[in-house]
Amino acid sequence: MSELTTEQVGALAAALGLPVTAEDLVEVTHRLNGLIDALEPLAALPLETIEPVTGQGPVS
Amino acid sequence: MTADVDLAFLSARRIAALVRERAVSPVEITRLYLDRIDRLDGELRAYITVVPEAALESARRAEAAVLRGEALGPLHGVPYAVKDQFDTAGVRTTSGSRLLEHHVPTEDATTISRLNGAGAILLGKLNLTEFALGGTQKFPFGQPRNPWNLDHDPGGSSSGSGIAVAAALCAASLGEDTGGSVRSPASFCGVVGLRPTWSRVSRHGSFPLSWSMDTPGPLGRTVEDVAWLLQAIAGYDPKDPLSSRAPVPEYAKGLDDGVRALRIGVIRELTSGPETDAEMKAAVLEAARCLERLGATIEEISLPLLPRAGAIFMALADSDGAGVHHRWLRTRAAEYDQGTRRRLLTASLIPAAIQQRAARARALLGTQLREALAGHDLLLCPTAHQAAPPIAAGRGVITSRHEVAGRFFTRRSYVTPAALAGLPAIAVPCGFTCAGLPLSLQLIGRHFDEATVLRAAHTYESQFDWSRRRPPGAA
Repeated sequence: MSELTTEQVGALAAALGLPVTAEDLVEVTHRLNGLIDALEPLAALPLETIEPVTGQGPVS
Repeated sequence: MTADVDLAFLSARRIAALVRERAVSPVEITRLYLDRIDRLDGELRAYITVVPEAALESARRAEAAVLRGEALGPLHGVPYAVKDQFDTAGVRTTSGSRLLEHHVPTEDATTISRLNGAGAILLGKLNLTEFALGGTQKFPFGQPRNPWNLDHDPGGSSSGSGIAVAAALCAASLGEDTGGSVRSPASFCGVVGLRPTWSRVSRHGSFPLSWSMDTPGPLGRTVEDVAWLLQAIAGYDPKDPLSSRAPVPEYAKGLDDGVRALRIGVIRELTSGPETDAEMKAAVLEAARCLERLGATIEEISLPLLPRAGAIFMALADSDGAGVHHRWLRTRAAEYDQGTRRRLLTASLIPAAIQQRAARARALLGTQLREALAGHDLLLCPTAHQAAPPIAAGRGVITSRHEVAGRFFTRRSYVTPAALAGLPAIAVPCGFTCAGLPLSLQLIGRHFDEATVLRAAHTYESQFDWSRRRPPGAA
């Protein structure tokens, strides 16, 4: 996924009705891009065949 | 004074025994902790709210019960404190936020009812990172400080729960662990902290972060104390439909049975990986050798996905948290601490494809951990990649996407695997750095097998005096 810009992140936040100040927007954009970067290597795993269940097991 | 300090640092179980033997009065021990809070907490900031009148009233009732020869609960007369995330009837419950500064619940959380029912005496409500999220830049109710070095981080989110136990500002405490929030402060403050199996302990009356990971958990100066607190709070609660009906065993019963015949897997990526500090690595590997000398079989195992656990956790738990806070984020955003607000805003914007990828990776990670535990009774690794860092290290704005992993994901990858998989895990002191900061060993067990986790931790703990050391300035 390509790097998100502050404009894109600001537009997304506005669409959700979230008030984001200019100072917040810069850091939120870095945080969001950093999270996407960190999860990018997982795309190499065979995750499509795995159901996204929580994994903690049933309550017995 | 020396005798008073010695009394304050006794284990909760020892205090309960002295109360039962009428060697110590509940009023005397409660006053002792209240005096210590008064004297030491201005600097440590473990507490948000102290309830001296209510505590002394409970203590007087406890004393009367002893003198009447009534049947006493297992924690009768033991003064404890609780993370300010748990509801307490008539006592304000802030979740560490200005948004709830004046919130006074009308009902106790189930965990509080159960601890009080076991005879414990509530001293007050403990400091935490705002809404148990972590990353708070300016604590609304005072900066919590590590008693081993006041310039260092006490860990979070149950910061006060770790500080108060380490500095003997209570006999034991209750925290809440979504992604390490009991084990991290236990690790940084040099005490014992247990994350029980998810669903083992009721979440009713605790402010939520992530429904599938939130777990109340005890902290104490000894493993035995933690076992007894778990005994008091574990079990099905009709007020929490996701709490388990599985029978609750007697956790303290087998504590002295040793580790002979236990198979323990040392997780290579977290113990010897490049992110693990040399002093932490050396202490944890020495702990593994100690358990081997005591009869356990130690094998190194590889779980390559675990270093990604911190990012997987934040994609999922933070999204849950963003859902919890969505209304307030839209209407009261400025009232949040800057760090909390930016974390929740980020989580609100995570693309669905990324969240799905994280959810599938969580399932894979859970499967891998369960497979590892099929061949081993326990998994072993450090609780954190390093000892408590300076408070200043977690401060300041993020100025680049490249800073994010180092600030948020690395340390969480040590504590979030058990959280993502719903497994029980304990943090136990395993030494000190050259600078005098605590180091911590983590043991992860199978679902609902807290008994084995506690037994191995107790066996290890009994070989050393780590838990009897006292922080400077806490005398």
